[in-house]
Amino acid sequence: MIELRDVRKYYRSGNRKAEILRGVNLQVEPGEYVAIMGKSGSGKSTMLNLLGALDNLDSGTYELAGKSVHRMSRGRRAKLRNEEIGFVFQHFQLIPNLSVYQNVLLPLTYGRKRLRRKKSRVLALLDEMGISNKKNQKPDRLSGGEKQRVAIARALVNEPSLILADEPTGSLDEETTESILNLFDRVHKNGATIVVITHDIEVAERAERILHLQNGVLV
Amino acid sequence: MKLFTVFKLACFGLWSNRLRVLSAMMGVVIGMFAVIVLTAIAIGVKDTLMKQMGSLGAEQILVLPGRVLDTANGQKDLLSGLTNVPSTLTYDDAKAIEGVPNVKSVTPHLETITIAQYDEKNVQSVLVGTSDQYSRVQHANLSEGRFFTKEEQAEEAKVIVLGNNIHEALLGNQEVPVENEESSNEAVQTKPIWKKVLDKLLGESASAEEEASLVGKQVTINDESFEVIGVLAPNATLGSSTDNNIMLPIETALATTDMKNLTKMIVEAASIQSVDEVDGAVFNAIKTQHSEIDFSVVKQDQMLGALGKVTSILQVMLFGITVTALLISGTGIMNVMVMSVRERTREIGIRKALGATTSEIMGQFFFETLLLCCIGGAVGIGLGYAFIEVWNSNIEIFALVLPMWAVKLALYTTFGIGSLFGIYPALKAARMKPSRALRFE
Repeated sequence: MIELRDVRKYYRSGNRKAEILRGVNLQVEPGEYVAIMGKSGSGKSTMLNLLGALDNLDSGTYELAGKSVHRMSRGRRAKLRNEEIGFVFQHFQLIPNLSVYQNVLLPLTYGRKRLRRKKSRVLALLDEMGISNKKNQKPDRLSGGEKQRVAIARALVNEPSLILADEPTGSLDEETTESILNLFDRVHKNGATIVVITHDIEVAERAERILHLQNGVLV
Repeated sequence: MKLFTVFKLACFGLWSNRLRVLSAMMGVVIGMFAVIVLTAIAIGVKDTLMKQMGSLGAEQILVLPGRVLDTANGQKDLLSGLTNVPSTLTYDDAKAIEGVPNVKSVTPHLETITIAQYDEKNVQSVLVGTSDQYSRVQHANLSEGRFFTKEEQAEEAKVIVLGNNIHEALLGNQEVPVENEESSNEAVQTKPIWKKVLDKLLGESASAEEEASLVGKQVTINDESFEVIGVLAPNATLGSSTDNNIMLPIETALATTDMKNLTKMIVEAASIQSVDEVDGAVFNAIKTQHSEIDFSVVKQDQMLGALGKVTSILQVMLFGITVTALLISGTGIMNVMVMSVRERTREIGIRKALGATTSEIMGQFFFETLLLCCIGGAVGIGLGYAFIEVWNSNIEIFALVLPMWAVKLALYTTFGIGSLFGIYPALKAARMKPSRALRFE
């Protein structure tokens, strides 16, 4: 499913060049639930950006669902993000001007599926997430847990092969965290591959495998 | 993704940010309104002047006092070359021209300012001694009565034809210059707009009690009594309106006033083909009666040429104002859109993370600017059109003219501005890295 080989990433600040990832190797099998842990500044966000095809590698290779991401153009990477990856962010990243329904519909807008299927798919997911009664509301009228449910519905709407979650419970209280993690468990049981990036051990422990990012290397 | 979907996203983007959109749109609305109204003014003024000049007819030749100097290329310079000298043209010159071959008619104008008296009303007016051809040559239609005849000219009959304003003023229906101790030089005042609108609303009731006509009545001018035999229809034009004139036979004017020298003469050639020949012959005919060349003979095309210069200046000025207005509104729109892109950085990051391509993001923001300009432009054009309609139905001095080509040009221009000034914000949005855009605070 995911194969990273000797991946390196640098950031330049003036004349200084900081190496964030120093030869990362990672293999994730289809349907696997993996947690990547690390302290602040360990390169977790960089890792997420690379896995989500949001940023380029400086060296190494990245294969996702049999496709060489490191060789892809910007356009093909956008298509890959749309079709193969579902994102769940810590701060939900919902578009405030759009309703719940429109936020969940957004990945399908950039895809090539027929309209009738799009609508039925979005409504089914909202129902599954227990927020179908909120479909016409704007995100600012929702609680943190509801917002994250909308984000998960949006991540699942295009039936991606990989769910990438960045601190998915970082902005939630304990009770809501539990319900969201249960939702991840359910999604995983339905066959989705999940990579969660977190610094929270309780979140990581729900995964099948826990990896630690230390000094730019996975251990 | 289909172009239509990108367009739909742009529409939605505009709707979602409608307050900001409205403020940005105001620049285009005002710019386009100004362009439309200024275009209508420029074309309206040009048309009115051309119509007045052109109404003389291509076969007509104007004889003016003073000498129109020639330019370097031998053309008469009517704009700056007309010398300001007292008139030496006489009615004898007019009679001499009547004998020139291929001259159809000569209409002399002997003009002075006078006071007309009727009942207890004194009205300042322009007294014009002229021939029976005046109404035909000046395209001045009669609203009632008749114009004086050749026979009345010969008899020095004391008959007059009133311009419309003078007729109305003597009846007490309209304010025009009056002669009294307090304000002997009052300017011409027509009815205010609100009064005209009120008159329209009230219809005939407002003037039901007013006296109907002065035809057949006696009006006193310079202590002489004249019979009113006709009234001219309103002829509100720039410069050469007959509304404030009183026409009488030139022979009567010469006999009853101190006027001796003509203000101008309008000579009509028998045909357009003979204009050049008549032009030279008229010049020679007057020259033989004068010791020096203190008059000018000007053909219609020379008049129109001079007018063309004035309207060209107007058009250049209009072009300058238009370009400035459009640049200002275009820059305003671009700034607002650049700010919008900045404010929506995170949204752009989210869209990119969810699969929007560079061209889709670019298309969305480009269409947003384009739509904003087109809607603003259309509103501006609509407001301009409404202004022109209100002007034309209430103000008579000249009509504003908005040709269809100007509307089309304005629409194309707004499209052009939207396209030109939409590129930069769209590129700015499209070039954002999704990983950075998502972290934007």
